[in-house]
Amino acid sequence: MSDGLAYSTRRFTFSAAHRYWVDEWSPAENERVFGRLTVVHGHTYTLDLTIRGPIDPQTGMVLDLGELKRVVGETVVERFDHADLCADPLFRGRVPTTENLAVVVWELLVPKLGAERLWQVRVWEDPTLYVDYRGA
Amino acid sequence: MVELTRVYHFSAAHRLTSAALSPEQNATLYGDCHRPHGHNYYLEVTVAGRPDPTTGMAVDLVRLDGAVSGAVLTQVDHRALEEVPALSGIVTTGESLARAFWRILAPALPAGALKRVTVVETAKNRFHYEGGEA
Repeated sequence: MSDGLAYSTRRFTFSAAHRYWVDEWSPAENERVFGRLTVVHGHTYTLDLTIRGPIDPQTGMVLDLGELKRVVGETVVERFDHADLCADPLFRGRVPTTENLAVVVWELLVPKLGAERLWQVRVWEDPTLYVDYRGA
Repeated sequence: MVELTRVYHFSAAHRLTSAALSPEQNATLYGDCHRPHGHNYYLEVTVAGRPDPTTGMAVDLVRLDGAVSGAVLTQVDHRALEEVPALSGIVTTGESLARAFWRILAPALPAGALKRVTVVETAKNRFHYEGGEA
C-alpha cells in the first residue's frame, strides 16, 4: 500500500500598510471605485501556509516546520512586516488587494519550496476576509 | 484563480421539526434540537475569480457585502428562522441552511462566481454547500 500525501499548515503574521490606487486614473475615479481604501491604512495580516507531500519515513514529517519558518520568514515576513506594500517593487502597477497579495506570496515561495510542496497560500486581511491561492 | 471568503455573522432562533413527523417522532429524532433555541451563526461566502488586472480585485467587496446583507442577513438576523419567508418549508438544519443560502445568493452574484456557502452553527458544527444542482 502506498502512502498518501499529508498537508501541514503553519501560520505567520505581519503588519503592513497599503492603499488602493491606480496611477492611470484620476483621483475622482480612484475614489469612486475604491472609496475609503484610497487612504493609506494597514492590517495585521495572517498567512496560513499549507505544504503537502509524503511523510518522510524517518523523520515522520512532510517538511521540517523550522525550515519552513526560516524560508517564509526570510522571503515573506521580513519583506512585508512593518512595510508599505505600495512601496514594494512587486506591487508596482499592481494594486495590493488581498487577492494580489496571496498571488505575490505564492510567486515568492514557489521557487523556494517547489510547486509540488506548496499547496495553498491563505491570506487573512482581518478576521472577516481571506483569500486562497493554489497557483494557476 | 483565487478564492475569496468573507465571514458574516447573524444571530437567530430555530427549532428542528419536520412537518412530516408527529410531535413524538420529532422529539425522538431531533432530541434537544426540537425545542426552540438559538445560535450565533457565522456565514462564510466564498467566491472564485481572477484578480482584475487593473483593480486587483476578483470581486467587488462592496457588491458582495450588499448582496449578502440584503438577500440573507437582513432576513435572518434576530429572527426565528422558521418564520423567515425565504426559508419556509425547510427544516433549519445547518446543511439545509447552507443549501438555502446558496440558492438565494447564486442569482444575486455574478454568474458562476459563487463557489461555496458555509454555515457555522457552533464552534463544533460547520456545514458547507457547493451547488452542483442539475
